[in-house]
Amino acid sequence: MTSGRSILLTGATGLLGRQVLARLLADDPLLHVYVLVRDLARWSVASVALEDVRRVVPVQGDLRVPELGLAPNDHALLCRKLSAIVHLAADTTFSNSLDRAREVNTTGTRCVLELGDECASAIHVAHVSTAFVAGRCTGVIAEDPSGGSDGWVNAYEQSKYEAEQLVRADAASWVIFRPSTIVCDGIDGRVTQVNAVHRALRLLYGGLVAMMPGVAGSTIDVVTTAYVADAIARLALAESAHGRTVHLCAGEGALPLVELLDVTYERWARDPDWRRRGIARPALAELATYALFEQTVEDVADASLKRITRALSHFVPQLALPKRFVTTNADTLLGHPAPAVREFWPAMLDRMVSTRVDALARSAA
Amino acid sequence: MMAPPIGISGIAYVLPPTRRSLGELHALGELESEPRMLARLGFAEVAVADEETPYDLALAAAWSLLRERSITPASIDALLYCGTPAVAFARAGSAADAAGQLATTRRFQYPATRLQYDLDLDRASVLALDQAACTSLFAGVRIARSLIAAGEAQRVLCVSSEFFPNCAGREAIYNCTADAAVALLVEAGAERNRIVASSHVTKGYYWDGDALRNEIVASYFPTARHVIAQTLNSAHWSPNDVTWVIPHNVSVRSWEILLGLTGIARERLWCRNISRLGHTLAGDNFINLRDALDDGNVRPGDRLLLFSYGFGAHWTALAVEA
Repeated sequence: MTSGRSILLTGATGLLGRQVLARLLADDPLLHVYVLVRDLARWSVASVALEDVRRVVPVQGDLRVPELGLAPNDHALLCRKLSAIVHLAADTTFSNSLDRAREVNTTGTRCVLELGDECASAIHVAHVSTAFVAGRCTGVIAEDPSGGSDGWVNAYEQSKYEAEQLVRADAASWVIFRPSTIVCDGIDGRVTQVNAVHRALRLLYGGLVAMMPGVAGSTIDVVTTAYVADAIARLALAESAHGRTVHLCAGEGALPLVELLDVTYERWARDPDWRRRGIARPALAELATYALFEQTVEDVADASLKRITRALSHFVPQLALPKRFVTTNADTLLGHPAPAVREFWPAMLDRMVSTRVDALARSAA
Repeated sequence: MMAPPIGISGIAYVLPPTRRSLGELHALGELESEPRMLARLGFAEVAVADEETPYDLALAAAWSLLRERSITPASIDALLYCGTPAVAFARAGSAADAAGQLATTRRFQYPATRLQYDLDLDRASVLALDQAACTSLFAGVRIARSLIAAGEAQRVLCVSSEFFPNCAGREAIYNCTADAAVALLVEAGAERNRIVASSHVTKGYYWDGDALRNEIVASYFPTARHVIAQTLNSAHWSPNDVTWVIPHNVSVRSWEILLGLTGIARERLWCRNISRLGHTLAGDNFINLRDALDDGNVRPGDRLLLFSYGFGAHWTALAVEA
């Protein structure tokens, strides 16, 4: 790595990280990328599909450790070479305690920023956050530093909010990306990485969800990996995005919750075997009613029902906290909005059913 | 010309004399949950039949109704017996009685026909309803209403007597169960408790309640909400129009959740009997209606919503104008 720009990418072994890395390399033939990986063996698997792996150097480290746990030589090398850091790594486990969530998401970000401070040249930081740093706030959510004034639904959201604050305070130059929930690879609906949304769909499909939080105006804002990866790759190092907070969200293309349930159940009902079970759509409940239900399950239900309800409780309250994410920065910088949810949600459902919702979600459980 | 209103003009019920507290039931090994947990859900004690048969209580409830209302037996056009006929003559607590009732020719001894004879209901055609569990008396009311509307009857006696099965303990899906019998008089031209609307949903997928327990718990609330909304819609009532919700005596907590889903205020729930009586299977709503009328809580013109769920699996509701 002797010529061109050098950057550090964290989170490169994840689905989104791999996609971002591939696009960064494709977009800039002179770019060199150091990837921070905890497990070199995992990296060797993740990097198999990369076309130009010679421009990528793995360095072993851990976000949870001071100085990222880098070997002195690697630390010195990075300090000498880097001009930017694309910080994508995160612990997205919604059920984590706050302390646990902060280990990677907040403290890890601080360590990344400290590395940036020690670099020879001024470092630009592209930080990948989440749209849900807005927490319990409702209404129009602007692309600005505000968020969390009404608290958060889970520790993941809070820890990511805190990380954003660190980036704004410490980085010489920054851009913050706030993706909404990623649910499929692209508008073809293929699902490579199963997450909480798919596990919830599995429970709905099996008729195991009595109710969901939801109010008039609740919408589902979800996006594709392709959209988010493309946006990050194009804007992470772009000067036009410096100092911007960028919502990578469906925004106006979000789907009202009621319509989403209509689409979902109509799609599933095309299977006669599923339809004849007569599985009811979950009732939409205000948060107080939903909390009472959760409490009752905790008090009396069997272990299986408790597990189901707990799995949902870490994120479904967001459904009763309606938000509309402003996407002006993203739309302007990219020149187009994110795909509307109705463009890929039905295809995703069809693919999940064709590959068996049960098997797909269980494999990730 | 408008058809005369059809309503529930009389209600009587009989409870067995033995009462057991949650602590006593727990000591007898008849509860799955801790007593304090069931207490938090609103239960305190239940009436339990030790020696009586379901038929004994059914006969007593029906006699009580005829006597109270000064009903001439010959004026009854139809008798609907709602309950499990196969064990109607088995003494409570006797597994041998119940087995004998089911497995011998005694199975053909029917409580419905015997009730007709014992009550001198000479003119009454007799029907029996089974397999609707806790919704069987609602089913009786719906059929009675239909018979009257069709001109086949003017006055129908509905009797339910359901005991929780022998050897099944005293808890069903977090509810404390009790034994009771209830008799209703459904008639044309009733001055009170006019039936305004009814709704019923059966979901056969859930027929195996033991195997699909969690699925049933999950389906309970959305389907209940749907049935209640459908009933209110048929009655042209909004949730705010409901003066009282006359419940089946499942946990108070589950009612609070269901009311939250339906938009009916918690204060409208007439729930005094949940702690006092527990869940008497098919009789709850009508026992509660009788007590609420006697207490003066329900007044003429009040709009009442009665809802029940029957294991097996039925959701049912009535809109009644008191």
